[in-house]
Amino acid sequence: MSEGPASPAFTRVLEAAHLPPGGKKVVQAGGACLLLCHANQRYYAIANTCSHNQKPLEDGRVMGSSIACPFHGARFDLATGKALNLPATRPVPVYAVRVVDGWIEVAV
Amino acid sequence: MEVEAKQDHKNRATAKGEARCPGAPSTQDIIAADKVGAPGWVRSEAYQFLGDADIPTDRYIDPEYARREIQTLWRHTWQFACREEHIPEVGDYYVYDLGPYSFIVTRVGADDIRAYYNACLHRGTKLRASGTAGNACEFKCSFHGWSWNVDGSHKGATCHWDFPHVDPARFTLPQARVERLGGFVFINMDPQAPTLAEYLGAEAKAHIDAWKLENRYTYLHVSKRLPCNWKLAIEAFMEAYHVIETHPQVAVSNGDANSQYDVYGEHVNRFISPLGVLSPHLYGKHTEEDILKQFTLGDSGALGGSQRTLKDGGTARQVMADMFRGMFEQATNTDLSGVSDSELLDCFSYTVFPNTFLFPGISLPMVYRFRPDPRDHRKCLYEVMFLRPVPLDGQRPQPAEPIHLRDEQSFSEAEGMDPGFGNILDQDTDNLVLQQEGIEASAKRTLTLGNYQEIRVRHFEQAVDKYVGEG
Repeated sequence: MSEGPASPAFTRVLEAAHLPPGGKKVVQAGGACLLLCHANQRYYAIANTCSHNQKPLEDGRVMGSSIACPFHGARFDLATGKALNLPATRPVPVYAVRVVDGWIEVAV
Repeated sequence: MEVEAKQDHKNRATAKGEARCPGAPSTQDIIAADKVGAPGWVRSEAYQFLGDADIPTDRYIDPEYARREIQTLWRHTWQFACREEHIPEVGDYYVYDLGPYSFIVTRVGADDIRAYYNACLHRGTKLRASGTAGNACEFKCSFHGWSWNVDGSHKGATCHWDFPHVDPARFTLPQARVERLGGFVFINMDPQAPTLAEYLGAEAKAHIDAWKLENRYTYLHVSKRLPCNWKLAIEAFMEAYHVIETHPQVAVSNGDANSQYDVYGEHVNRFISPLGVLSPHLYGKHTEEDILKQFTLGDSGALGGSQRTLKDGGTARQVMADMFRGMFEQATNTDLSGVSDSELLDCFSYTVFPNTFLFPGISLPMVYRFRPDPRDHRKCLYEVMFLRPVPLDGQRPQPAEPIHLRDEQSFSEAEGMDPGFGNILDQDTDNLVLQQEGIEASAKRTLTLGNYQEIRVRHFEQAVDKYVGEG
């Protein structure tokens, strides 16, 4: 599997085998705290911070291609970072993801 | 006594509501000839003549009537709020909205689902935005941070020292009643309402129990706002009488005028519309080959582009039953060996008053939900969900995320929707704007209904009368 444009900024963060379908994992890369999600038959990387109240998203429920913040229920599109409902209105950063030699790499 | 019986029979033969489509087999005749026989809930009839008076149309156009409906009808009836599959884990929630009301439907335990009024008890902010779902270990207000545990008990108030008058024991989130049936979560705002079983009645509940819809999952979920009052929308799907004019492409393979109609108690009614047979309107104009070619399925994805071939002396109905059984089993990894031909093919449509339509068949496996638009009584919210049996390997797929169509979009534009079925829904809903506007424009302030084919509309409106009063 290979996703996202080729870029020298990709950083190797996790063996893909450690993130099964439905899984989530917090990783550090490029000084940022990221949440990797394996949903919808693909991988996503989103900043692990809700844009509404700066709380971590890592315990949020993933449904389809969105994640719901467990604190106040704001949902974000995992592919674009767009806020889908109140109380959030601002997007969350998302990062391109690819898999090389069985490793998940993120462009940070 | 014998003379009286003969006279009674003669009277009944001509009594109101007794007439049926002449020259056509009944739905029960068609099903009786199937190779794989149908269960009792299919092989029964429960029609009742309920009068032939016109229905006043104020109920579809009067904003004051719509306001009364919220208070008198929607606050006292059992409504489909979500499926259990939407909230599989403790802490999972699904926000169900109805008019001005909103509920957080939450799983508190394996067999404990609650529906909280979706408002902070401090200054009223919604605890979760409408139309959302997620998981929570607490429900915390985004305004001042008051919080509640998943079981509804008060967890904390920011600066509690300033609220000595707040007794946490009295600040539990208020709840609507919750009952579960067939994988559906129903709620009712009325603490005095009958149980769901009493509300449905024994016979209708036995039908729903028999379907085991808890063993299905939602593989497609589409929503759209419709340009009509919610009752016009739901009533558009209650009869096959409109098929010949609205869906002529379907009539070739649909026993429309000889469909069967039944009523159960005050809140449930149904039709059985046989498929794979020619419409009585078209007798003499089409062959069995034509029926086979025109057969439309709601879930045709499993059939792919397979060739349909009529065997010597066979019927289109039997060919479709045999073919659909085998290919659907294979495509969806399910076992349909115990399912009758009728359940595989026919359109079974049940209304559970006021917001739910259940289609327990396999080829047309939908659930519809109708709700008034809280901002405009001349519009409503319509959802269609398609249910498939859970695969034999026991892996229950996640329910599909809803696809929200814009008002002007075709149902065919929803990814995963069968184009033929999307076209049918477009034909149905295109009529509705004309009906809404026509009722408002009409010199006649009533609707006139057929005694048999439109009995579900009358039955539904009699339930409306029960809650709202005639108007």
